[in-house]
Amino acid sequence: MALQEILNLVWINIKGNKSKVLLTSLGIIVGAATIVIVIAIGLGGQKDVQEQFKNLNAGTVTIADNSGSSSGGMGRMPSFSGGMPSGGGSRSGGGRSSGMPSFSGGSMPSFGSGGFPAFPGMMGGVQQIKKTTFTEEDVEELTWFIPNIETITLLINGSGDVEGGILEEELSTTVVGATSEYVDISNLGLLTGDFFTEAENEDLERVAVLGYDTAVSIFENVYDAYGSQININSKKYTVIGVLTETGSTVSDITLDSAIFVPYNSAVKYVVGQNASPKIVAVVEDVNEIETTILNIETLLTEMYPNGSFSVANAGSQVAASQKSADTMSILLIAVASVVFVVGGIGIMNVLFVSVKERTREIGILKALGSSRKDILLQFLLEANFISIFGGIVGVMAGYLLMPVVRLSGMSVVASTSASVVALLFAIVTGTLFGFYPAWQAACLKPIDALNHE
Amino acid sequence: MEPLLRLEQINKSYSLGSEQVQVLFDISLTVNRGDFIAIQGPSGSGKSTLMNIIGCMDTADSGRYFLSGEAVHEATDARMTRLRNQYIGFIFQKYQLVPKYDVLQNVIMPLLIRGVPRKDAIEIASEKLRLLGMRDRMHHKPSELSGGQQQRVSIARALVGDPAILLADEPTGALDSRTGQDVLKLFQELNDMGNTILMITHDPTVGQKAKQIVRIIDGRLYTRQDTLPVSPS
Repeated sequence: MALQEILNLVWINIKGNKSKVLLTSLGIIVGAATIVIVIAIGLGGQKDVQEQFKNLNAGTVTIADNSGSSSGGMGRMPSFSGGMPSGGGSRSGGGRSSGMPSFSGGSMPSFGSGGFPAFPGMMGGVQQIKKTTFTEEDVEELTWFIPNIETITLLINGSGDVEGGILEEELSTTVVGATSEYVDISNLGLLTGDFFTEAENEDLERVAVLGYDTAVSIFENVYDAYGSQININSKKYTVIGVLTETGSTVSDITLDSAIFVPYNSAVKYVVGQNASPKIVAVVEDVNEIETTILNIETLLTEMYPNGSFSVANAGSQVAASQKSADTMSILLIAVASVVFVVGGIGIMNVLFVSVKERTREIGILKALGSSRKDILLQFLLEANFISIFGGIVGVMAGYLLMPVVRLSGMSVVASTSASVVALLFAIVTGTLFGFYPAWQAACLKPIDALNHE
Repeated sequence: MEPLLRLEQINKSYSLGSEQVQVLFDISLTVNRGDFIAIQGPSGSGKSTLMNIIGCMDTADSGRYFLSGEAVHEATDARMTRLRNQYIGFIFQKYQLVPKYDVLQNVIMPLLIRGVPRKDAIEIASEKLRLLGMRDRMHHKPSELSGGQQQRVSIARALVGDPAILLADEPTGALDSRTGQDVLKLFQELNDMGNTILMITHDPTVGQKAKQIVRIIDGRLYTRQDTLPVSPS
């Protein structure tokens, strides 16, 4: 029998059973819509990660004092500090990077010499770990002894209360003390003005560069910011620049919502002497980064035998974020697959009933000489029609639902490949679950089928 | 000349639970081109089983069956399916029209199955429907037709493939006597036009319309006309 004629029979049957077709395809519709949305959420997550680390140089290494910082981070991922997982490791800057693993060094004091207590981290006692405050000397030391370092600088952050501009009450915000090198390390761009210079740092000048969101909060119009005066913790600062909007987080600092002041000014006026700065370095050769990290760890252990440090590698942070986004996608796709299986079982059920109902019809067709193949094809194509219909409607439903998902704050990225995957899934489901009932129909004996009531 | 249809020593039994029940005993029958034969017997005599075997819908346990020279007793399931389409025009007691298809779609089905293009199939079907006076009902659904009309449609469907033999199973069984008479008259006309007809019935008055009557009783066939009682009780 010509395929076209089989299709015609399929069409006659579908036309006569519109409501049943619609109900059967519901499962597939939901499944396809789920796939489309799930992939969109997955891609959105990846885009978020890319956005977040857009400014991050892959060769960035962040060295932080790790003592008594167990409250930092969300502890979602282990941070290997002193050969022992601990909750801390990275201080959350409010961005998504919290909970990323940070592979911290400071391990194996035995590298130094034998007499030290082994694995201080394992003792769990904060008393045995001395708090370390990094200084300019440490930076010089690292620059001197560690090869493969391109840029290195101190960085400190704390919070400050800001007044000025259109603000009616004080705004509590992250204040970052940095040096002029920071511009290169974090790939910062300036919307207006300039970043502060080394001279301004040394002279303890009270100048500030605002993150984009902060500038908007304080001045509404970012171009009003340049040259204006603001108060940070009741000290006057002159705004000398505003950063371009980035949406990214570098070394736990959400760039857009921070205020940058010269490092020395920050230590003196904002965070105080007791705050613990970080050292941020950029390596020359990213491929050698693991060796460099090991060298840094070894050197720091010699310098501060009782210290505990975390040395975080930016590349691994990105990879970990990417991985968690991927895991999320896989999880969501698994959920979508379950929906599809349920939809497929729905198709199978309806087709079984359909075969039962149409036993006489099948008997007639067989008596007239329809081959098994014709009957099989007819039922299989019917299942395919239902699933393709469901797939198309589902993809459309998915696209319609995307703005709703976006409202919930999740990033979604529509993609053609998601639609194709959803359609393929729908067709495969229809074929797989349609086959058994169709085969049953094809194998009916004509006499039995004809006499079926 | 080679007969159109030849049954030799056909036996058939069914298993009913643990019991083996034989329904046909050494059936031999020859049908020639242009014959109009009625196989007449009471219910349970095995006539439906015989009909199914002749219609290539069931296989005998032993014996040989030739249809238009084809050895049906050796045919595979797929081959039998093709033989049904090619050589046999079925006319059923309950018409067996597909309720979802309209009259035309029902009638062209045997041709479509054979692979005849739709356009040609419609042409042939229209001709047969005209012959049976059903041409103006082409786009009606079977449920919109009377029993007699439905039987005419099913006869048109049986004729459309130009089969070697028309196989009618109680063709008047579901019809009132007047419509039944009309259908039998139609059979006689079709036979006069050269169609070979094999009709199965339990009704002696129906059987008498055929040129030749064969009786089947308890699975055995009696072909000698002179031994037949005129009106069996």
